[in-house]
Amino acid sequence: MNNIIEIKDLHKIYARGTHALKGMNLTVKEGEFCILLGLSGSGKSTLLRCMNKLIDSTSGEIYICDGDVVKATGKTLRRIRRQIGMIFQQFNLIKNLTALTNVLTGKLGYVSLGHSVTFAQHKADMKLAMDNLKRVGLLEFADKKVKNLSGGQQQRVAIARALMQNPRVILADEPVASLDPATADSVMRYLGELNKKDNMTVICSLHFLSLARKYGTRVVALKDGEIVFEGTPKEIDEKKFKKIYGEEAEEVEIK
Amino acid sequence: MKNNKIKSIIQAFFTDLLFWIYVFGCSYFLIHSWFEIELTNTNIHILIAALVFTLVFLSFGMSLGRKIFSPTKLTNLKWKKTFWGWTIVFLLVITFVVGWNLVEVNPYKFFTQFKNARGISSGIFDPSIIGYKLTEKSFEELRENDVPLVVLEKLERIKNKSYTTKKVLSLDLKKKLDANELLEYKSSIFEYAQKNSNMLNIALSALAETIFLALLATIFAIPFAFVLSFLAARNLMPKTFLGNSVYLIVRTIATIFRSIEAIVWAIIFSVWVGIGPFAGMLALMIHSIAALTKLYSEQIENIDEGPVEAIKATGANTFQVWIFAVIPQIISPYLAFTIYRWDINVRMATIVGFVGGGGIGLLLLQQQQLLRWHNVGVIIWLIAAVVWIMDMTSAKVRAKLVEM
Ligand SMILES: Nc1ncnc2c1ncn2[C@@H]1O[C@H](COP(=O)(O)OP(=O)(O)O)[C@@H](O)[C@H]1O
Ligand SMILES: [Mg+2]
Repeated sequence: MNNIIEIKDLHKIYARGTHALKGMNLTVKEGEFCILLGLSGSGKSTLLRCMNKLIDSTSGEIYICDGDVVKATGKTLRRIRRQIGMIFQQFNLIKNLTALTNVLTGKLGYVSLGHSVTFAQHKADMKLAMDNLKRVGLLEFADKKVKNLSGGQQQRVAIARALMQNPRVILADEPVASLDPATADSVMRYLGELNKKDNMTVICSLHFLSLARKYGTRVVALKDGEIVFEGTPKEIDEKKFKKIYGEEAEEVEIK
Repeated sequence: MKNNKIKSIIQAFFTDLLFWIYVFGCSYFLIHSWFEIELTNTNIHILIAALVFTLVFLSFGMSLGRKIFSPTKLTNLKWKKTFWGWTIVFLLVITFVVGWNLVEVNPYKFFTQFKNARGISSGIFDPSIIGYKLTEKSFEELRENDVPLVVLEKLERIKNKSYTTKKVLSLDLKKKLDANELLEYKSSIFEYAQKNSNMLNIALSALAETIFLALLATIFAIPFAFVLSFLAARNLMPKTFLGNSVYLIVRTIATIFRSIEAIVWAIIFSVWVGIGPFAGMLALMIHSIAALTKLYSEQIENIDEGPVEAIKATGANTFQVWIFAVIPQIISPYLAFTIYRWDINVRMATIVGFVGGGGIGLLLLQQQQLLRWHNVGVIIWLIAAVVWIMDMTSAKVRAKLVEM
């Protein structure tokens, strides 16, 4: 299997001087479900956001889907981005638009400005968007405004939006942190399905070890901007857990 | 360290200088207006005196500037019964006294000269929405109702003359007819003096002019303000030299244009395109563009950045991000601000009319100059009604938009 993500000696220093990533090296193979663990502030979001250049990295190299993310600008950058779906903790949907319109925005990287303001005229896009909504079980909510949906439903709309991009990689930044445990598992199930059925590579930051064990094929743990553990989810025992989360930490079980 | 010290001394120096210039300036003004003493080269004298006092007091360490710019919080300093505490009290007293003199405050006039406003207040409490006029038709009707020709002939002179109230008409009737005739025919004359609502019609059409003038000014301002607001939004402009320059230039121009009152624009445009509603519209439009640009761009700066990032992450270009992530978030606050602006513009259009901007303001000015207080009353009530209705409905609509 080929490497779909390669990160070499990545540093990120924020404007106010926080050294959030300290020489990160990471390689992800196509088809992996890679879980990022680590305390708040350990650099998970920073790493994910550098990967599609939502923020600029300070130094280092990032290659995703054969594209040089660090050097890319303008059209090249947008070509890379459209192959990378992103899921956020706060869903980041446009709240006063319908679920369908939100899903359609996943297509923006592939179409012209004129095309994107006349989506309704493009039957193929509409059908694809409906199919993706159906896939996340929200077909009957297509014409509902997103703000009237529950948290779990909103996150599923966000997954459908990412699917619309037909991505090779999915970056998920704490996708279930704002959801209750039962909903969290159902959302993770969709991500697991995309990974297994559609062979999409998933990088997902999480706080629950149980979910990591259930869906992850690999775990990368960060602490203060450095990788402190790499391996399979099963390898994480109490000692390693304490190393990642600190001595006082206690694992909470989530079914 | 040293730089800081120099900076704080310079700050203190100029603060003190301003303070002493103010003290001497005010003192001179009072001496001048109370004792009518005239000095030559006053400005120079005040400046020199202020400079001397500043340097003397500064060198003794008694400096207001140092107090203000010292790192200690102002509230933590001891003000009571200190030299500078008394200075502040002195400053407030002198400011009040000078202000009283400059504004020519005169409570005596206020309480004794109310009678001067009797004309306008009687107009306000008795607006002549309905007027009286003896037209050809009224004469015919009076004849059919057995009013003798002699009487009608006497009334010939006031045919087609407009009366704002019954009272004014009866004054004229008293002059024309003798007591008996008056007693007998007064009521039928009143009855058939055709009620005419001309003034109301004129005022209503002027009012419509004002409302539409305000509406057009708002509508024409929208596209300009819409485009400019994107350029004046910190979070949308790229952090490059070009982006920063565009942001700064648009912001600065908008601020300058906004600080020039619509009434000043109206004076300019009434010379430019002539007195009338068009001048008023242009004045309100310019002012609205500047005001809306500021409100709109602040709205953009307050949007949720999350969706913007999410849309960027799909590979969308800048315009697509604007259309799909920014505009949906701002559209209802934009509408709310625009309606609010229209509301403000209707009010301003009245004022703008006074200086040549047409509409009800101009009519009010004309009627006031002709001393037709009853007509003025009609106009004032109409303006009040429109402002009140606009205020209520725009508040309701805006509340609805916020829920959207
Ligand atoms: N926009 C920012 N500006 C400055 N510092 C930031 C910013 N975002 C995150 N940081 C800092 O970078 C570090 C890593 O944060 P983050 O990547 O958000 O961690 P995590 O997602 O693991 O909680 C933290 O110390 C945080 O305070
Ligand atoms: Mg985070």
